[in-house]
Amino acid sequence: MSDQPMTAEPRSASAFAAATSSWLPAVILLLATIVAWEAVVRIFAISSFIIPAPSEIAQSLVAQWGTLMQATLVTAAEILLGFVVSVVVGVAIALVIVRFDWLGRALYPLVVLFQNVPKVALAPIFILWFGYGLAPKIGLILVIAFFPVTLSMLAGMQSVDRSLLSLMDSVGASRTQILFRIRVPHSLPNLMAGTKIAATLSVIGAIVGEFAGASDGLGYVIQFASTQLDTALVFAALLLVSVLGIAFYYAAEILERIVVPWAPKFSHA
Amino acid sequence: MRIDTIRADGGKPAHIRHDDLISVKGVSVVYARQLVLQNIDLSVPKGSFVSLIGPSGCGKSTLLKVLAGLVEPTSGSVSIGGLSPVEAARKRMIGVVFQDANLLPWKNAVDNASLLLGIADRSLSRAELRARGQEMLELVGLGDSAHKRPNELSGGMRQRVAIARALALDPAVLLMDEPFGALDAITRDSMGQSLLEIWQRTGKTIVLVTHSIDEAIHLSRHVHALGIKPGRITGSIDIGLPYPRDLAVTEDPEFVRLVVQLRTMLRASHQPGDAS
Repeated sequence: MSDQPMTAEPRSASAFAAATSSWLPAVILLLATIVAWEAVVRIFAISSFIIPAPSEIAQSLVAQWGTLMQATLVTAAEILLGFVVSVVVGVAIALVIVRFDWLGRALYPLVVLFQNVPKVALAPIFILWFGYGLAPKIGLILVIAFFPVTLSMLAGMQSVDRSLLSLMDSVGASRTQILFRIRVPHSLPNLMAGTKIAATLSVIGAIVGEFAGASDGLGYVIQFASTQLDTALVFAALLLVSVLGIAFYYAAEILERIVVPWAPKFSHA
Repeated sequence: MRIDTIRADGGKPAHIRHDDLISVKGVSVVYARQLVLQNIDLSVPKGSFVSLIGPSGCGKSTLLKVLAGLVEPTSGSVSIGGLSPVEAARKRMIGVVFQDANLLPWKNAVDNASLLLGIADRSLSRAELRARGQEMLELVGLGDSAHKRPNELSGGMRQRVAIARALALDPAVLLMDEPFGALDAITRDSMGQSLLEIWQRTGKTIVLVTHSIDEAIHLSRHVHALGIKPGRITGSIDIGLPYPRDLAVTEDPEFVRLVVQLRTMLRASHQPGDAS
């Protein structure tokens, strides 16, 4: 440490500087990668159906904008709905496990067991049961994404300090009071972490569901374009899937800041 | 002068000393096949300030939990104002403070202070709870910090909220398990001083578990020393130093004499070769 006194810099200015310096390396690396990619494809004259150049992907993106946006909306709706259903079901299972001992002991091992089923393999079955529409995608997202929600909430509810529980016991608090006044709010930071994982998994669930059988959505576009050897369009759709993923992740993070303003913040510094 | 008929121990003359509020008779606790407490006899006079002191593992915290109704003794009986500890707790006669303040991070100080009261008495409205919480925060010297969340409070302030939370129940007895154990020495001193003031203003009976000899003598009227393996009471001292006491009392020759006496007592009860 230097022996210089701590200077009281304006917070906003230093925060901006910190944000810039933390983002800048990533942005530079990304731009460099894109330039190198473009250069390699052009120099070695790589066929565009193997690796399209970034400029070709951009052209495809512009040319197919209408189709892609329509597909993005379909996929986004699946992700959003599937995510909400996953969180609701995941929270409900965690609550039941904690509130009812017997049911919890019955349910928890089954949930863990089910977690080990390769759920992607369920996609064809869901298509068989629910058809080509929205339902099989929601079902698939649910089975893929509810588990981190349940597990993180359980961990949060079960990590309440013993002496806090003793305090509650000392005034004769009921189990339900302890659950809703202590355990549930205490679990929210954990739950929000699980929710962010569920947001990412929801994107995967939607795309896998569309691969297995769909007539619309970005997953369908990717599959269709790859059979046409339109690799630029595949990449354009992939780019939009990634944007969707990032958007949902940050939506979950904003939700976290609203729901648990007291939770410790993690910085990438 | 006529004043000499009144005992000089801090506005608590002898005539207000009633029967024992807490009476422990022959209490033993066996936990995981270990004798944690052996044949404890203890009485705590109403309105008194009693400390339990002893080395780690002597069962002093377990004894406090027995008093709070959180641990069922294996044998023996405990009476708190004629009731069992669990009954007494249901009647809000017991307030508990642990070493960790255990505040809810999502609630502000005033809501934390009224938390246990709200659970114990569901008939109280939110406004009534807030008013009671605010009143208790003022009692512990945190009237200005009602809307601060725990992460905006220092360790000492958090512990003050924990004391306010216990006092909000208006308990007959305050059971405190090393409440200042995690605080730095300076904060610890001022917390002890505040606790004395709160005690004198509220007239609560206080049972304090501590491992600080100075703290026990500075604050209490009676100190019970506990020995280890098995946990048992090995000696008791009455602290005759007059109240109100401030930190200057620690320089009093009588204080120093009591420190030596208590230290000797604790050393004698500490089994040789067990210097943990």
